[in-house]
Amino acid sequence: MQTNPHRWFGVGQSSAADSRKAGAEAAAEAIGGREAKAVFVFASVSHDLAELLRGVRMEAGADAEIVGATTMGEMGSAGVTSGGISVAALGGDGFTVQTRAARIDRAHPREAGAAVAEALHDMDDEHKVLIMFADGLTGQPHEIVRGAYSSIGASVPLVGGFAADDRNFKATYQFYGDEAHTGAVVGLALGSDGPIGIGVAHGWRRIEPPMIVTKATGPHIYELDGEPALDVLLRRNNFDGSAEEFFDRGRSLQPLGLSRRSGEDIRVIHSGDDEARTVWGTADVPQGALVWLMEGDRQSLLDGAAWSCTEAVARLEGLPPLGVLAFDCGGRRAGLIEGGLEQEIQAMRTALSDAPFAGFYTFGEIARVRGALGTHHLTLVTLALA
Amino acid sequence: MPSWSSHLLTEYFAAVNAAADEDSAIRSAVERATEMVEAEVGAVVREGRIFGAYGFGPVVPEAALHEVAAGQPLLTVPYVGELHAVSNPLGSETGDALIVARLAEPFDPAERQMLQGMGQVLGLALRSIRVLAAERHLRAEQEQQATSAQTRQRLVESLLTIQRAISARRPLPEILDAVTGGAAELLGGATVTLMLAEGGPDRRLTVALKHGEDESPPESLARAAMAGGAVLVRPDGAGWMIAAPVRVTGEMAGSLVAHLPGVAGRQTEQRDQLAAYAQQVSLALTDARTVEAVREAHHDPITGLPNRALFLKILNRVLASRVTDADPTSVLFIDLDRFKAVNDSLGHDAGDQLLALVARRLRGCVRASDTTARLGGDEFAALLHDSPAEAAEAVGERVVAAIKEPFRVAGREIFIGASVGVAISRESGQESKELLANADLAMYRAKKDGPGRVLVYQPYMHAEALDRLSLRGDLQRALRDGEFRLQYQPLIRLADGRAAGVEALIRWNSPTRGFVSPVDFIPIAEEFGLIVDIGQWVLETSALQVAKWRRDFPDLGLNVNVSGHQLVHPRFADNVMRALAIAGLPSSAVTLELTESVLMSEPDLGKSALNVLRGLGVQLSIDDFGTGYSSLAYLRELPVDELKIDRAFIARAELTAEDLALVRTIVELAQILGLRVVAEGIENAAQLSALRGLGCGYGQGYHLCRPTDPEFMPDRLADAQVESPVGVLDHRSTA
Repeated sequence: MQTNPHRWFGVGQSSAADSRKAGAEAAAEAIGGREAKAVFVFASVSHDLAELLRGVRMEAGADAEIVGATTMGEMGSAGVTSGGISVAALGGDGFTVQTRAARIDRAHPREAGAAVAEALHDMDDEHKVLIMFADGLTGQPHEIVRGAYSSIGASVPLVGGFAADDRNFKATYQFYGDEAHTGAVVGLALGSDGPIGIGVAHGWRRIEPPMIVTKATGPHIYELDGEPALDVLLRRNNFDGSAEEFFDRGRSLQPLGLSRRSGEDIRVIHSGDDEARTVWGTADVPQGALVWLMEGDRQSLLDGAAWSCTEAVARLEGLPPLGVLAFDCGGRRAGLIEGGLEQEIQAMRTALSDAPFAGFYTFGEIARVRGALGTHHLTLVTLALA
Repeated sequence: MPSWSSHLLTEYFAAVNAAADEDSAIRSAVERATEMVEAEVGAVVREGRIFGAYGFGPVVPEAALHEVAAGQPLLTVPYVGELHAVSNPLGSETGDALIVARLAEPFDPAERQMLQGMGQVLGLALRSIRVLAAERHLRAEQEQQATSAQTRQRLVESLLTIQRAISARRPLPEILDAVTGGAAELLGGATVTLMLAEGGPDRRLTVALKHGEDESPPESLARAAMAGGAVLVRPDGAGWMIAAPVRVTGEMAGSLVAHLPGVAGRQTEQRDQLAAYAQQVSLALTDARTVEAVREAHHDPITGLPNRALFLKILNRVLASRVTDADPTSVLFIDLDRFKAVNDSLGHDAGDQLLALVARRLRGCVRASDTTARLGGDEFAALLHDSPAEAAEAVGERVVAAIKEPFRVAGREIFIGASVGVAISRESGQESKELLANADLAMYRAKKDGPGRVLVYQPYMHAEALDRLSLRGDLQRALRDGEFRLQYQPLIRLADGRAAGVEALIRWNSPTRGFVSPVDFIPIAEEFGLIVDIGQWVLETSALQVAKWRRDFPDLGLNVNVSGHQLVHPRFADNVMRALAIAGLPSSAVTLELTESVLMSEPDLGKSALNVLRGLGVQLSIDDFGTGYSSLAYLRELPVDELKIDRAFIARAELTAEDLALVRTIVELAQILGLRVVAEGIENAAQLSALRGLGCGYGQGYHLCRPTDPEFMPDRLADAQVESPVGVLDHRSTA
């Protein structure tokens, strides 16, 4: 338990079946009787979310800002849960917290991003970051993040994750105060007089040869190299069967890497249509883009996790990490299932020198430190606070 | 990651083209460009205003952005820092630009090239949106809108096809074909030609590809587009010519030229479309170039063999890894004979083909484990492992024999040869460069002894080489300090014993070396390029001298020897005429002597100079006739006036029936062709009378008159005037 009164950070987890109890348990562990300024809640959609938030609020007190999202799995220092809850809390005079929420207008998704960026308004702390949680099923996650970036510019980094709904792909929820919204973006601007570090890494590698996206709109890919996209994916995977079978078996997630200057911008393809022979994911794949199928073995994914944490900590100007928020991709989770998850947590613990961490498996990660691109997939984004 | 940037342009293109209005096109372009190069901020400067500013947050530094558009490479963004900025014009005429700026590091050439392309693509999209909007505003026909939108869609599709070919690393010709074909189709029946500059100093433009029926466009237009770095539009007869420059890693590499029939009015759109295709060519070539560059760094592109650098690297490794001195490593230095003649007469392409064939034969002469390389020009090398001198010499002989066999190039049989020098390393710690240089020296020595030889390096060759170098220095000094002088030997008309002319002969009495024979110093002077100056000195000096003598002997002619190196000098004809003009010697009094071997090895070279001189009245003589390759074709082709029978044919004190038969043949041949015949090397009265009997017109030799210093020459000439028809000027030789 942290004792630094100036800035503190704590985490808690619960697998309790009762939603209110789970919320209260996890929050109590994270807050540890201190006065929380912000509480981050990551929970499965299988919970009664209103009850869960009620439980959190009981422990957090009336003044704490509660934000968070539903997940595809929750993680924390204690390990990974499915259908559970993971909470991080922070407080102390060194931190400043302001929040905003906005509904996503599907016709103008960037407006919601720009609106939550207002959370940074008049915040003049030495170190700042905008933490965002957004619905991951609106189809244009990039636009939401671009909206935030266009509003705040390059002077403040962005992190966060897109909410998930286990593996249902039906409705995701974003927590804001005592309510769970859907189709929304929640932003928490965090100011600190201590350094803030962000790490981004994935651990996937290309499978040659690349392909051109010859026909696509939004997240739907119709053709790769002029051929029906589903046919291409099945053939490249040596898979004989329907789209449903293909996306249901372990390989369920097909990462596609877009060619970028310092590596790949990854998209996750999670569904296909046997009739139309198309495939789609949660983020838009630009027509004309050059893409690679990506592969990752367990070790390279674990290396990616360790690297993300190491990078985040390295940016703390030599200070030890107080704690870490982690946004890990649901696709990575799929790639690490069967024992790998525990190894990933262990790798993170080691890389963070046992500093507490909490986070969730997402439908997409948000991180912008350098450059303008802020949306990622199959990536582990870590936010370290000192 | 090689050429990642080339992958992104069509993705960007598709995004920008999907925009329905100018604002969204600009916003989309700025955001994509910014993300793609991992820049923090971007904006467009258009018509003096800032649009689509991205990544700046609430305060956009407008003044600073205008400065970037004007060329300032750094952009200060509040709370972010000083960023590397690059401004990319949206078109050729305006100051409009797409700007991106990055904190991390400056943009590299590939990124700049891609960003230039992005600027152009945005400019194209904005102009076509504006055209479309104007059309709407004017309630123009629905049809026209549809066509324009359709054309844009077709352009996108066409570019996607090309991009796919580029990313799949399809063979370059296939990609370029897709580009010219796509452009020709989109431009509605235009003839589209891709002209690319070749390597080498003159950067000739050649037609790499052509789609369409019309003739190839003028090179001047393609060059103008390259020189200006911008798309050019010019009316051409009933239609238009558009030329768009093509760049490879930012450097001008050629032009894509379209010839459009008829119909004015759509040039701006068509110009932009052609520019988009030219961009694709640039990307394809740049991409291919990055792949090739790695290979090219170590291999010769024509033969596929390792180049000099790689050869030396391999040789170094072999030399370093030898365990004992017992297993010698041999290096063969192979130089082709007469390659230059093939290259000059049949062209560079044929020359390159020949080199590739030579490389293949060379590989056939060595073991698979041995290394062959092209060092440059017509020089090759082979590295033989564990090869003692005898074995290496045998390989050398094999190479000579293999190269001697005819090659079939450009539908013709080509005969060349090779000279080979061998150097063998027995010492450990010997340098690879030294070994190769020794083989080079041996090759030089072998070539000097006549083509088609193999010689093993001996230390004396090194001394010889040093001597050659010091000889060069002495020759330079001799020319500067006036150590050369001339002797003259008359050409006697055998019918009456009178001197018809004199041949100027150079002499060098070196203060350090003593008397040096021209046989020894002329080849060195030729090798080091001093021959042109020496030859000119001989011509000027002798012309002045003979002009002076002609006051007393008005019909006296002058024969001057000319080296092949002088002949190919671009100012040769001018130099000759200048020397004669200064001396006041009529051109008809001068005969230039060329050896048969010079004419044979350089059949086309100097032909034009000789024709010019002949046209001005200068005569031409073939020296040492009969010793060369006895191809008589040049007697018909060249403006020859005189044949000098080589002294070898009349060398015997008493001429045999065979000797006489040969000489008679030459004399008769000359008579048929209407040429003068001069017999060289007449040394006794018997030879003289025999030659006179055969009808040989003129003679030279010790029996007639030795080479004489100029001060004694007038007396000799005067003597000849009064002599009997026996015509002996130099009585010493008959003594």
